[in-house]
Amino acid sequence: MGEIKKIDEVYQTLLKLEKRNRDGVSAQELSKELKADRANISRYLNELCRSNKLKKIKGRPVLYCSNKARKTEDTPAKIVSSFDDLVGARYSLARPIQQAKAAILYPPRGLHTLLLGETGVGKSMFAGLMHRFAIESKTIREDAPFIQFNCADYADNPQLVMAQIFGVKKGAYTGATQDREGLLKKADGGILFLDEVHRLSPQGQEMLFTYIDKGYFRPLGETEKRVTADVQIIAATTEDPESYLLGTFIRRIPMTITLPSLKDRGLEERYCLVYNFLKEESKRVGRSIYINRNSLISFLLYDCPNNIGQLSSDIQLACARAFLNYKTGNKKYLLISQADLPGHVKKGLMKLHKYREEIESLLQDKGDVLHFSPEDDRQEIRPEVKGTRFFYDIIEEKLNSLRQIDMDEDKINEILNIDIESHFQKHLENLPAVIRKEEIRKVVDEEVANTVDKILSLAAKKLKRSFDEKIYFGLALHLQKSIERISNGDKIYHPELNHIRASHADEFMVAMEAARIIDNKFGIETPLDEIGYLTMFLIKNPYKTRDKVQKKVAVFVIMHGNSTASSMVEVANKLIGTDHAIPLDMPLNMNPEEIFELALKEVNKLERSSSVILLVDMGSLTNFGEMLAEKTGREVKTIDMVSTPVVIDVCRKAVLGQDINEIYRSCRGNRYSPKLNVSQVKAVRSRQKNAIITTCFTGEGAAEKLKEVIEKELPAGSNCEVLPLNILNKEHYLAALKEYKEYYNIIAVVGTVEVEQEGLPFISAVELLSGEGLNYLKRVITELDVYSRIKESLKEHIKVLDSEKLVEDVRQGIINIEEALKLRVPAEVKVGIVLHMSFLIEKLKKGIKETEFPELKEFRDSYQKEMALIKKALVRIEKNYSITISENELAYLCKMFTRNQISGSTGGEGIEDDYAGLLGRDVDQPVSE
Amino acid sequence: MKTIMLVCSAGMSTSLLVNKIKAIVSKKGLEVNIIAASEAEAKSYQGRIDVLLLGPQVKFLLKKMEDLMTPQGTKVAVINSLSYGTLDGEAVLKQALELL
Repeated sequence: MGEIKKIDEVYQTLLKLEKRNRDGVSAQELSKELKADRANISRYLNELCRSNKLKKIKGRPVLYCSNKARKTEDTPAKIVSSFDDLVGARYSLARPIQQAKAAILYPPRGLHTLLLGETGVGKSMFAGLMHRFAIESKTIREDAPFIQFNCADYADNPQLVMAQIFGVKKGAYTGATQDREGLLKKADGGILFLDEVHRLSPQGQEMLFTYIDKGYFRPLGETEKRVTADVQIIAATTEDPESYLLGTFIRRIPMTITLPSLKDRGLEERYCLVYNFLKEESKRVGRSIYINRNSLISFLLYDCPNNIGQLSSDIQLACARAFLNYKTGNKKYLLISQADLPGHVKKGLMKLHKYREEIESLLQDKGDVLHFSPEDDRQEIRPEVKGTRFFYDIIEEKLNSLRQIDMDEDKINEILNIDIESHFQKHLENLPAVIRKEEIRKVVDEEVANTVDKILSLAAKKLKRSFDEKIYFGLALHLQKSIERISNGDKIYHPELNHIRASHADEFMVAMEAARIIDNKFGIETPLDEIGYLTMFLIKNPYKTRDKVQKKVAVFVIMHGNSTASSMVEVANKLIGTDHAIPLDMPLNMNPEEIFELALKEVNKLERSSSVILLVDMGSLTNFGEMLAEKTGREVKTIDMVSTPVVIDVCRKAVLGQDINEIYRSCRGNRYSPKLNVSQVKAVRSRQKNAIITTCFTGEGAAEKLKEVIEKELPAGSNCEVLPLNILNKEHYLAALKEYKEYYNIIAVVGTVEVEQEGLPFISAVELLSGEGLNYLKRVITELDVYSRIKESLKEHIKVLDSEKLVEDVRQGIINIEEALKLRVPAEVKVGIVLHMSFLIEKLKKGIKETEFPELKEFRDSYQKEMALIKKALVRIEKNYSITISENELAYLCKMFTRNQISGSTGGEGIEDDYAGLLGRDVDQPVSE
Repeated sequence: MKTIMLVCSAGMSTSLLVNKIKAIVSKKGLEVNIIAASEAEAKSYQGRIDVLLLGPQVKFLLKKMEDLMTPQGTKVAVINSLSYGTLDGEAVLKQALELL
């Protein structure tokens, strides 16, 4: 009795839900609505289907609808079919599918169809689906035949092809000893698929057309008897539809369907295809397949002229290689990485710059390693669903889904660790919320961290503003120390307290509340001065408070190419609604001197005090900034490798009246790693002591804490001091910094809040604690140590010159050469080159004959440009030492730089490093300039 | 008698290092022969040397030299850059002897 009631309840609920979801209702929805077990619901649903009250709709998830609902909209297009599972069914394949359905449903027995499309677009599969649809739509019987024949199979024997298709009468030719039925007859009641139909002989074509027009044919050798067959022909060809050959087919076959090639199907669909193939492979091997992000990107972007067929086989190849590595124990997981990809696939990654935005939005909520498991059938990728999700959410979700499939905890951990580790190597600005606490807890008590959480969420609510990582870190570090100080009874003094109170009343009020939270938590009494400091963390731009209104920074865009700069500027100006940015195009035949003169003229038109930001692409243009600054006495900053979004961003900030350094830094900030290049550390005197400055508002809180962290990590015996400094007052801070510069070689400033500081790398607390900042500092200090030892040792050997100055000049020369050639050589190689060049200069200075370079002429022919660039980069050395570096010597240098270069080396860490490995062997170097 | 060869691009900076090592070798009375060569000359020594050390600036020769020399039993390596940069004959000799 209960059973019957329940089943009715399910039915009624379905009818109710159906009104909302016209497509149908899933068991899941019903179980949620009825708060009942899904398995039971499914059982009822199946029963209802059997009693013909409900209809099942194929798909995932399976949907159910009442027979009532379906009847009212029983239009042909509504028949749910296997077509709908195709990738791109609602996008690039929407029209072909619509045509195919029409061709099948056209009364009485469908239209003969010509399928066009390049090799590998999936014509055979599509024909197969048409057959299935014909069955699904009950146009043909359940057991209706689907016969496939490739006309190219016997193309050198046209007679045989015709015999295959149309059949043979006994005695039609020698060897035809009995009547034989053709495929056309065998396909009676169903579909005959003729692939590569253009390979059919003219006679065969004529016979086919006769059948198409009249519905009957004659087997070979048959003169009287006509054979009739009820067959729908689907003919396929790769021929260009414009070709003469196809003209007749298109005229005489009523329906023509063109399947798009892979490159016309867009990245989202390609992504789904790759996804499905990997999924299939994982089912095939019966275990999870992982693929790293770059390999996935390669699959999305490489030239794939043979379309889906090729994509599928290339993926299979990569899976097979990865499987091998896994089986042989080289890898712990079945992980597809660059090394497993066929060479032509790897090249795909080199197109990333063209599609970066699209790829990023496509993969934005994916980790650096993607996972495909044979069991998990959840369709993870739906092109229409897009959204930014935090790393944490992704991990959480993965965790849940992995648990659902009953994977054991250890394995889940391992999997998530892969995700997490690779995520860590990503850019710092993406530092996810979940990790920040781990990091901060290395140096700050958990209670302090939690309090900061509370304070910032309070402030965010009250001030209607969000606070970034830097503030979080800064405040946490600050609070840790100041709580200690207050507990110890140390005095806290804020010299600008009254100014802060007056000009930031809102923030001050919030800081008062924050102080109460702190007091309650730690049992202290926060003094008013400390509340002044807390206020400063909550102010939007602590240093903007007293700045005068600045003149707008002029923005020049200078690019190689006839109209590159103009078109970028046009976009930027249009979007911002100004004409602020000024383009200067540099056609390839224009020499750098000419464009420099043009730029100089433009800059001179500006108001006297305006500063200038140059946005350039590459090459000699990157040096214009310094030259312009020298010639005009203005402040000029250059940002290279500029893309349109950068132009827009810089232009917007300039129009808003932001300070030149602020704009420059914000651009640089996006590319933290590449810019923190050890080779760019300025040359220093060896006896000078190195120093790292740590900063915070007080100079005693976070700055002290950061000092502890750095000192603990510095290599033993390194010649480096850490000096804490307060940044409460910007002028005082800059003055103190200047003084330090007199005595120390300052390597970097590490702090909680960034203050404009000329020419010094800034490392934020978050960067430092995440490891990247520390690594940078260690690298720089090690290198400085090495060079000071080289200088000491050279002193014994090079007597005629000041070895200290010599080594510094040579180092600078090396940096210049690296920049001119747009490459980098490893640090160890650089040491060798320093020595080589030092002795070279000494030798030339002494007037000793140059060393001959074997086969100089041949070498020069291939490296003329590089040699000229090196010569130019060493002009200053030649001048200062009054020497001439000959072609022989240039050739040696050229070889050292070009052969030792770290490939793909203009970039920094991260993805570019992966590039480096990639570009090593079997891929061409990208052409620069 | 073992032979150690140092190679740099033009044979210029290594010759100094070779002289330093030679001095150490004779002082210690070691049975070791030290020579310096340029890239071009190096090939002609194929099969006649026990250790070949490359200046860091010609690191790019490593693969080529290994292919050429290793089958003849020669050990090939790049000189530690700090030892090279400070022209530390003692350290370079040690590196070479450890390879033997």
